Amino acid sequence: MKLFKIFKNGIIQDNPIFVQLIGMCSTLAVTTSVSNGLAMGLAVVVVLMGSNLVISLLRNSTPEKIRIPAFVIVIATFVTIVEMFMKAYAQPIYQSLGIFLPLIVVNCIIFARAEAFAFKNGPVASLIDGLGMGLGYTLALVTLSTVREIFGAGSFFGISLFGESFQPAGILVMPPGAFIVLGILIGIFNVARRKKATSQI
Amino acid sequence: MRETLKLGIILFIFTVVSAGVLAMSNNATKGKIAELEMAGSLGALQEIFGEDAKFQPLDEGKQNEIIEANPSVVEIFVALDGDSASGYAIKNVSKGFGGDLVLMTGFNLDGTVSGMRVLEHSETPGLGARSEEPEFTNRFIGKSVSEEITVEALSGATSTTNGVLAGVNAAREIFNSQLSN
Repeated sequence: MKLFKIFKNGIIQDNPIFVQLIGMCSTLAVTTSVSNGLAMGLAVVVVLMGSNLVISLLRNSTPEKIRIPAFVIVIATFVTIVEMFMKAYAQPIYQSLGIFLPLIVVNCIIFARAEAFAFKNGPVASLIDGLGMGLGYTLALVTLSTVREIFGAGSFFGISLFGESFQPAGILVMPPGAFIVLGILIGIFNVARRKKATSQI
Repeated sequence: MRETLKLGIILFIFTVVSAGVLAMSNNATKGKIAELEMAGSLGALQEIFGEDAKFQPLDEGKQNEIIEANPSVVEIFVALDGDSASGYAIKNVSKGFGGDLVLMTGFNLDGTVSGMRVLEHSETPGLGARSEEPEFTNRFIGKSVSEEITVEALSGATSTTNGVLAGVNAAREIFNSQLSN
């Protein structure tokens, strides 16, 4: 069940946000609402799976010396395709993600997986790794944005939860709040992960 | 030398294939995107001038002249009452906090603002994004074009408010200089 191990790795042991601490920029900026966080996460899953697959299929035809520009071309192509289809079929999300959609091209996670995994492994394994890492990223984003939206704006998925008199903690929808909540979540995730690891020995 | 050439050619092949795939995607989506933009404009126009109002784009020559002098303008519409103009709407772009703002501002012939809508934005949900809400857009209704338009700012979203005001006032100037006669 090696493929399942690869998949689980991306979500827990090597979660890109909570463990590897890469791809943080978009995480902090985009998680002001759950719908944004979810949309961004899914866009990254699509790009990750696509770029991992293509880079893995082309790994024997790509000379090592030009692998970085080759990765950039593949990743940028996938991101642009996702952008076009989002603009045509999911306009509101496209607008709220704004500049962060094209910035997926330079998201460290995609590059890191291309270099560390897709370039050295077969297509099916790379596809699964892309899925696992992408879902791990999405999990982090959805958790972070749930906390920030519920307590920072009093709503969930745009639906107001508490009514007129609720005073939300405005700091949570602003950058300092993002850092604080993310730090706390990283702490909780890693304590839980280590406890589970030691209890399995 | 030979190796460099070979590497260059391989990269070139990558890029050509990528360009081809992108061209196909563009073709597949550009129709829908244009449709959505038109629907968005029309929806905003009907909200500003009323459901029964009819519209047509401003005469092409005049519109191109205005756009050349004011590159931030995207489109200008004429609101019609029967055969004569009853108002104008200017769609333009201005700088918001998180990116560009696309605005549609409607003007009545009597020199007041009939309404304003934010068509596209990348503002923060809960803060600048509230510029879409009637509570904010209603503040523009009835403002006179004879002086600079100001409204009460969105709390916590001064940059967004200033971006909207810059766009609305740019539209106001165009209305005053080019369209109100």
